[in-house]
Parts: sequence; structure tokens; C-alpha cells
Amino acid sequence: MNLRLEDVSFTYPSGVTALEHVSLTVREGEAVALVGENGAGKTTLAKHLNGLLRPTHGGVWVGDQDTRRHSVARLARSVAFVFQNPDEQLFERTVRAEVGFGPRNFGAGPAEIEARVQAALSRLELQDFADRHPYDLHLSQRKRVAMAAALAMDTPILVLDEPTIGQDAGGVALVGGLVESLKAEGRTLVAITHDVDFCAEHFERVVVMADGRLLADGPAGEVLAQGDLLAEAAVEQPQLVRLAAALGWRETPLTVEAFVDLLAARRKDGT
Amino acid sequence: MIEVRGLTFTYSGTDTPALQGIDLSIPEGQLCAVVGANGAGKSTLCYALTGFVPHFFHGEMHGQVSVGGRTVATTALADLAGEIGLVFQNPFSQISGARYTVREEIAFGLENLGIPRAEMPERIGEAVELTGLSGLEERSPYALSGGQQQRLAIASMIVMRPRILVLDEPTSQLDPAGSKEVFAALRALAAGRNTTVVLVEHKLEWVAAFADRVVVLAGGRLIADGPPAQVLAAADLEQHGVGRTRYTLAARQAQARRLRPPSADLPVTLDQAREFFR
Amino acid sequence: MTATLFIERPSGLHALNPLTKLTLALGAVVAAAALETLPSVLAVYLLVLVPLAAWAQILPRFLRTCVRVVWPFALSLFPIQGLFAEGTHILFSLGPFSLKAEGLRIAAFLTVRLLVGLGAATLLMLTTRPDHLMQSLVQRGFPGQLAYIVVTALQIIPGFQARAQAILDSQRSRGLETEGGPVRRIRALAPLVSPLLLGSLMDLEERAIALEARAFNHPGTKTSLTELHDGRAEPAVRMLLLVLILGIVALRFV
Repeated sequence: MNLRLEDVSFTYPSGVTALEHVSLTVREGEAVALVGENGAGKTTLAKHLNGLLRPTHGGVWVGDQDTRRHSVARLARSVAFVFQNPDEQLFERTVRAEVGFGPRNFGAGPAEIEARVQAALSRLELQDFADRHPYDLHLSQRKRVAMAAALAMDTPILVLDEPTIGQDAGGVALVGGLVESLKAEGRTLVAITHDVDFCAEHFERVVVMADGRLLADGPAGEVLAQGDLLAEAAVEQPQLVRLAAALGWRETPLTVEAFVDLLAARRKDGT
Repeated sequence: MIEVRGLTFTYSGTDTPALQGIDLSIPEGQLCAVVGANGAGKSTLCYALTGFVPHFFHGEMHGQVSVGGRTVATTALADLAGEIGLVFQNPFSQISGARYTVREEIAFGLENLGIPRAEMPERIGEAVELTGLSGLEERSPYALSGGQQQRLAIASMIVMRPRILVLDEPTSQLDPAGSKEVFAALRALAAGRNTTVVLVEHKLEWVAAFADRVVVLAGGRLIADGPPAQVLAAADLEQHGVGRTRYTLAARQAQARRLRPPSADLPVTLDQAREFFR
Repeated sequence: MTATLFIERPSGLHALNPLTKLTLALGAVVAAAALETLPSVLAVYLLVLVPLAAWAQILPRFLRTCVRVVWPFALSLFPIQGLFAEGTHILFSLGPFSLKAEGLRIAAFLTVRLLVGLGAATLLMLTTRPDHLMQSLVQRGFPGQLAYIVVTALQIIPGFQARAQAILDSQRSRGLETEGGPVRRIRALAPLVSPLLLGSLMDLEERAIALEARAFNHPGTKTSLTELHDGRAEPAVRMLLLVLILGIVALRFV
């Protein structure tokens, strides 16, 4: 199931144009990161992916479903959206009930709901909190509850808005591991993130946005190497990319392993 | 300026202390970063330094916290306000809602303190300049971006000229550009006005670049305390839930693969890494 | 992004002290309550409120808001009074129901009274900033905490609306159907209302801490950044108006 935006423009009722002529296709199984400063249009674009916003010009397709012809609830069976602020959705008395909300809306039977909830809780390491009230948890844990809730919907596509905000090192590692396992399952991922290092490590394709337009769209290694372009979009380069540049290297290492491999190769060459 | 001795605090209705035996002494004008896993007690420490523990959040407290010579536990919150500033994560909930322009919003604290009207314009101007809000004085606080709102929250505190400013993950909701503005403002405050700044942060690269000193909290205890280069390169950070910059991780792996000598000090910042890998 | 009606204009009425405007509005309301004929009450509206609105350079907006605010009342007053008030002059009959002229006259009178009362309040809100009004009241002894609540409520309501929309978006994105029959709509409420309430409560706690940190409860007199202008004649005008008001009340109701 592909995601397709065709020449999408969007203007809010207030008159602010948030997207201008954006065309983007996300193929099934891809993991795409959306970067850019606040106000660049990232969240506006993301909200087009599940029909929360409909383009004022152009079209958006989820698979073969035109988002203008389907309700958000209907599209939710294909696209699960994790919002930046978990407190805008948490309402059940227990974490378990909260995570089961999506499957319940889809009409799943009790046994299936239970199975999906268990699986989602364990992937986000929330089993110990299953019967706690979500608001007793720390904000970063509430975010994980929101992610588990999206996971339980078992959709082919997931959109994550700032998945690592407020997480500590352990939380970031957990989310990173989750992204990898979702990729391994063949799910399609679109993530908005300010954490470029996280982006470099987990997303093979990077889209840079500024002022409602796409500035760049390509493989992470290529896009993240373009320091000037990123600076224009007020996006930082990943730490290791900056280090490689500072050392005068031409390559763009995206992970610690890649960096050290390059170091080893140079050692061998005697450089 | 800040003296914490043997601080132990347990929230009412819980069994485990949120802070245990904290000893900490922070001099005037220092920018001290506090790092640690979520739940380690960082927010509780912020509240303890500003009096909200025990005055607002009740519980069992042992030990002592004093700021500028005044014992926090025995001074009313209303008397501490103005001496001690607190800024937290969510820029939106820190807007008073009682004022219609940025200028008036900043003045709110001065009005509450009974500062004479004649003194206000200069102090407001100072706060606006330090936080880079020039040009936005007549805007509604609700018409600002998240980064601007966070800087407004800081300006609203520093206009009261507090001796200490405590910030709990102030850049968590901000993009890199907004974060940089906040860090720069804090740096200017600590260096230029001799305000003691205590900053809870997860963004380690920034901490390494801007902080004079880093303390690590784990399980309510203070387990490390020193300059960033030293603390953030220490061997046991992972087991305490604190991360590392990619520079440190790359250096360690290079050492593990015998590409660099094991004795060399691990780099924490870009400049240190460049030296390390040359 | 606030719920205030206030419109900025460089008019003489705007420049008056908030207390003077409050007293004027109060005077109009008392007059409307005390006068006993429709023409006299209407005269208050046409000869006092409308010229003031024109002076304030907001006449079109004032008239529009008056209509918008009053017509729902008028819509129920006329049928109810017309059908159920006592009277003998029947204008129209349908079965057991008859529309009487006396009833319609009563409805008209009540409507015009409402017009003056609500019109005075509208005029006040259109020409006075709520925080300035509160400031002038607090300076006269009005409790500061209550004043804060009033002013922030006006600013926070739109924030509430924005948050409610965000919550609606979140739940729809999880498969909650909000369109459809009444049962479905009602069932859709719990996932919408709880986050709104809980989120607002948590917000309140943080806001309370922020206020405390900004010395809201600091003992002693508060000062203010803005000096509220009080024209030389204004205190006397207010005194005069208050005397008039008390006079009317004494004459009419005592």
C-alpha cells in the first residue's frame, strides 16, 4: 500500500498557506523521516496522510483510497497516527484499556483485542504498567502508551510525530528498536523528528521541508551531507556527519558502526 | 549560592524516596546541568531548589536546601518568588493568560512584586534583549511560536532578577533553532548577570557545549558531579540510564576495535572528537 | 486569539477611565429598569447608547452585536407573551390559542429593556479592555484573584476550543466514528471529554506553579505597568452618575 501526495497545496481557513505544491510518494515498506524547523509544514503534511486535513489543491491517496472520499476513522484502518502530545488522546482508566481503544473501534473480538494489546505493551515495555492510570505515568511513558495504542491498530502504515521528544536514553533506544522491528515487518513508516541523529540511524530516506515546500527528498546519506541546504532549512547535520566533514572525509557516515568502519578502512590504507 | 545538604524527599502516599541524601553546592554564576533517566528525581530536585517541594508538593523531607542563605523549607513560597525562578517544559501553560501583550506579560511578575512603575521599562527592556524578543513586545503571547513562548517564559522570570533560575527540560518541545536560542540566552544570563542556572536536559551535545558543570542523578541519588568532559565520558553512564553523544560512542568503538589507544580520554564534543580522531 | 469583544479605536469614549464607562453602563441599565414606558426606554437606547457607540467609532459593530444578542430572547418573548399574557384585544385566533395585542406590547417593552441592558454591557465590552477594567476595580478593592480568573477565562476559552479540536482529531485517527446517529455521537463523547478535563486539570497545576513563581501571592500592594488615564472631570462625573442612579433606585423602588 503506497502513500501518494500529488501536487498538494493547503491553505488554512485563516489564510495561511502551509503547503505548496508538494508531491511525494512513499512506497510500501519505506521508512521516511520528515525534517525541518517548526512552521515548515511537517505536521500539516502528516495530517494529510490520514485524512485529518484534505488538500485545498491536489490529491492524497492511501493505497487506492482518495482521502477526500473517506472518513478519518475509515482511513485509520490503514494509517495509525501517533501525535506529538499524548495527553490529547489518553482517556481510559488503565493503560490496557487505552491501548485497546483502536482495536475496539475496528470491531475486533475480545480475544483478538487482548492479544494485540499484550503484544503492543510488551514491545513498548509497558507490561508492568498495564493496570495503571495513564496519567500516573511520566510524560515520556504516556508517549509510549500512545505508541502502543497505535501499534495495536495493526496498520500497514504508521505516522509518528516526534517519537523521541522527552525520552531519556533508554526510551530513545526503545523507540529506535521499535522502528527497526516495524521495518522488518514490512510496515511503512513516516516520522517527523528534530533528532537528526535518530533520523540518520533509522530512516533510509529523508525529506527536508521549509516554508511549506520540499527542499530535498532522497537517500539519507545524500540529503544529510548537504550542509548548506540543511542550514537553509534550519536543520542540524548529524553529529557523525559533522565529525566526518571536520576530519576532511568525503563520506557521510550515518551510524557509529559506519563511522568506525570508515576509520578502519583508512587505517588499512595508511591514511 | 545554592547549598543542598543531605536532602531526602518522599512524596506523600509513596514509599520510595524520590531523592536520597543529595549533597550539592552550586556557586553564583554557574550553569549547572542535571542529567539522568526519567524518574531519577530531576524534576523533584528542581522543585526542591525552588521551594515547591515541600510547599506545593507535600511529603517527608530531611536535610536542608538553602538559596542565598535562606532556608527554602522555612521560607514561604510567596517570599521566595522573585529570588528563585522556575521554567518548565510546556511553554503554553506558563503564560499567565492575564495579559494581552508580551511587554505586559513580562511585567506581570514585577507588578506582583510591587516594583515601582518607573523601574519597569528598563528591566523589561533588559529581559527582552537577553532573550532575543526585541520586536515582539506588542504581540499577543498566544501569537508566538513555541520557541518564542519559551523565551517569553524565561524573560518573565529573569525580569524579576532572581538569584537562581531553574529550568526543567525547557527545550524539549523546541526545534534545534529554538533550542539554540534558549541555550544562548541562558549562557548570557549566567555569564553576564551572574545568575546561577540549573538546567535539566537530555540534549547532551548542548549540555557539553554550554554547561560549566554536570551532575548525574540515578534512582534519586547523585552519582556523578564534575565538568562535562569528565562526567559525560565516564565509563558507567549507560547503567544509570544516561546516554552519550555519538562522538563518545564512536570513540569507544574505535578503542574496542583497536583503532585508537584505550587510555585516551573519550571525546564528548565535536572539537574534542576532531582531536581524538586526527 | 482571545474571546474579548474589545476593538481598539482612537475615540474619546475609549480613552475614558474604565470605571467611568462601567458607571455609565450601570446608569443605562438602572434607567431601563426604572422607566415605565416603551418610548422612554427606547429613548435611552437611541439617545444615549447609540450616540456613544457612534462617538466610539464602532456603531455598525455595536448594532450588529445588539441584534445578535437580543433576537433569541425576542424570538421566545413575542409568542409566549402574545399567547399567554392577559388581555382582551385579540388579533388572531387559531383553535384554543389567540394572539393578543397586550401581550405583544409587553413583549416589545421587555425586548427594548433587554436591548438597553445588553446593549450597555456590549458597549462597555467593545470599548474597554477586560484587564484594564479589572485593574481599575482591583485598585478600588476588588479581590485580585477573582479579577485574574475573569480575565484569563476570556483568553483561555479559545485555547480550550483548540485543544478540544486536537482531541477530536486524535480520537478520530484511532477509528472513533463521530459522524452518524445520536447514539454514536453520544458514545463518542467520553473519549473527547476526559482528555479535555484531565488535560485542563494538569494545565491548571502547571499554571498554578507558574503563577506562584511569578509572585502572584506575594504579600503587599501590587503596582501596574500601565497607568489608567482618569480625566480631570471624570471622578466628578462618576460621582454625579452614582447619585443619579441611587436617586432613581430610591424613587422607583423604595
